[in-house]
Amino acid sequence: MKDENKTEVTPTPTPPPKKHNKFVQYFINLGHRIKGWFVDKWTAIKDFFGSIKTYKQRKLEAELVTNDGPQLTRGEKFRRGLKSQSGWLFVAPAILLMAVFTFYPIIAAFINSFKQGYSGMTGKFNGWGFDNFVRVFRGDTGTGGASFVQCLFNTLILTFISVPLSTLLALLISVALNSIKRIQKAYQTILFLPYLTNALAMGAVFATFFKIIGTASYTETYGIVNIVLGVFGIAPIDWVGLTSPHWEIGSLSIPWAKYVVTTIYEVWSGLPFKILILFSAMQSINKQYYDAAKVDGASRSTILWKITTPMIMPQISYLLVTGIMGGMKQYSAVVGIFGATMGQDYDMGTMVGYLYNYISLGQTGYAFAGSLILFIIIMIITWINNKVTKKHTTYR
Amino acid sequence: MTNLLLLSSKAVGWLVALLVILILAAGGVITWLCIKRYREKNAKSADAVIGQWNLSGGENIDVATMEKRDKTKRIIKDVFVYIFLTLCAVFAFLPFYWMVITSLKTETEYRLSVPTFFPHQFQWKNYWMIFHQVTSASGSNATFVQILINTIVVGLLSTILGVIITIVTAYALARMNFKGKNALFALMLATMMIPGELYTVSNYITVAKLHWNNTYTVLILPFLVSVYYIYLLRNNFMQIPNSLYQAAKVDGLSDFGYLIKVMVPLTAPTLVSITLLKFIGTWNSYIWPRLVNGNEAWQMITNWVTGGFVDRLQPDGFSLYGGGTESLDTLKMAAVCMVSLPLLILFIFCRKYIMRGVSKSGTKG
Repeated sequence: MKDENKTEVTPTPTPPPKKHNKFVQYFINLGHRIKGWFVDKWTAIKDFFGSIKTYKQRKLEAELVTNDGPQLTRGEKFRRGLKSQSGWLFVAPAILLMAVFTFYPIIAAFINSFKQGYSGMTGKFNGWGFDNFVRVFRGDTGTGGASFVQCLFNTLILTFISVPLSTLLALLISVALNSIKRIQKAYQTILFLPYLTNALAMGAVFATFFKIIGTASYTETYGIVNIVLGVFGIAPIDWVGLTSPHWEIGSLSIPWAKYVVTTIYEVWSGLPFKILILFSAMQSINKQYYDAAKVDGASRSTILWKITTPMIMPQISYLLVTGIMGGMKQYSAVVGIFGATMGQDYDMGTMVGYLYNYISLGQTGYAFAGSLILFIIIMIITWINNKVTKKHTTYR
Repeated sequence: MTNLLLLSSKAVGWLVALLVILILAAGGVITWLCIKRYREKNAKSADAVIGQWNLSGGENIDVATMEKRDKTKRIIKDVFVYIFLTLCAVFAFLPFYWMVITSLKTETEYRLSVPTFFPHQFQWKNYWMIFHQVTSASGSNATFVQILINTIVVGLLSTILGVIITIVTAYALARMNFKGKNALFALMLATMMIPGELYTVSNYITVAKLHWNNTYTVLILPFLVSVYYIYLLRNNFMQIPNSLYQAAKVDGLSDFGYLIKVMVPLTAPTLVSITLLKFIGTWNSYIWPRLVNGNEAWQMITNWVTGGFVDRLQPDGFSLYGGGTESLDTLKMAAVCMVSLPLLILFIFCRKYIMRGVSKSGTKG
């Protein structure tokens, strides 16, 4: 059938062998090309419909073959049909749970975020509109909760500093690990130790590094980080406490000391996974590339930036994508260091922290709006990542 | 002995400064050597050019000196690499060390303006004290034992049920034929793109309307289905050749028997990874229990560790420092140790499975 269709379509007719002016000839050729393009498309469409027809015929034939046997009673047919669908029985528990806890919430989030003054428990609301979103952005929520703009700013800053930093550090460590032969295993084990840790528990440990302990009038200890910095003549900084230094731009506060602490913690907790991925990717690179580079007299840095890095680019982009997406959803790290109020009046709040704040305040309308904004931001970041990394992942 | 390890803040500072100076000096020496070598190389090449002009023979360096130079270069590079790796290893390990030693210090020692790097006196009573902590913010008496029981019950139930659902669903999606199978699978995969925070708000309302607050059900049910694990296991099941299925059918095995006796043993490594990651996920869950179970007696171990730990006077008259209401960091570090150690032990013994699972899924459960 397909073949018949193909023979029907004649290829683009060859131009008549009449001699033309060069200029005119160009336009004639152009016309032929345009016509050829349409003919090609037409052929494709014809083929497509042709194939559908054959598929239907094939199905008919198949039915004829199966119905060749003894005629089945209606009940028997129904029973057999039911038996062939028994797969639904296997997936039923998963579907039921997902319907309640996944599919319904997605739909509900999209609908409820447009209900003004929506209260989840009573289901009452004042009307439809973008009121929730406007109020979330303006910080005009009526209850003294976290500020959305502050939370968004914190999340973006923390993500876009800590993710590239930890990826770069992981790259350097993997290169170093890859180049040594002795006690490689020991280094690997120690570097992988922070892998499976409880984010909140380790956050508390990091807080003790930076904490100043004592009363307002008498300081008992400045904490180990301040003591080390003191050697270089830097005055003690209140890294995690109430008097932590911050800059202010309009209503936005930038608690830079707290950013530093959080970034160090996030680099620490993010490194092992990144080293694991990059190191195993490096070990799988064909050694011939390195030998060839050595023969050509390439320097070590040339080998790193021109061979190793491009070869593991897919892994690097994967780490950046997952890192940024995880960073947008960060919550535990900040709570671990600064406690459940996320710093002083949520000055270290994150997007997720904002949601939970408004859930516990009972203002579910704002929580819905916030979660929808978070969803849209993550979608945009995924889209940008796909666009950017597509260009760089053509190796292999 | 311990006195030697007790360093003043100045001494600590000077030690760190010395370390930095040493590293800087090493860097300086290496740079100087590199510059020197570079100059030598250039001079040599100039010599060689001149030599060519004079027609008195090309290279002046013999093979032995070249090899020697290569060797010194390699050693310098190795020293640099080892210093870098050691610093990173210290950075990775220091929080664990600090956690353990702080949990064993007395509160007075912890508050010395001079931090000690090794406890003078081991205060094992810190651990005794956290076992007898009672968090009673909401009027409930939640002890560590109660919360450990919560965590283990919820962890075991949600892991077992979750793995069963994952196996059954993955099997149906991989091996059975039913109408709408592919559409269903596509729909499930599509939900992986959506951040879990989008569900939380609705789920919170749902469970509150069902009056499931302060139960185990609310901690188990919402997280039983994990699309990623279903996807992982389905791909594993697809790799098993169909001829095995036919052979099993000939031997008279039912579909379910085939699943239990053939497919599950063949995909055991993936199943172990899934089981471990699910349990670790429960162990680390914090937000959901705090949100839905306001009563501390129904919360999980991570919620417990974020609370304050005070030297409260015990009913039998015991206290570490005469009682008090201030949250003590040494007690908190002891609690942090209690939460972290099981994870570390699990990591040491099951590193292979955990890493396989995590490197595939990119999550910690």
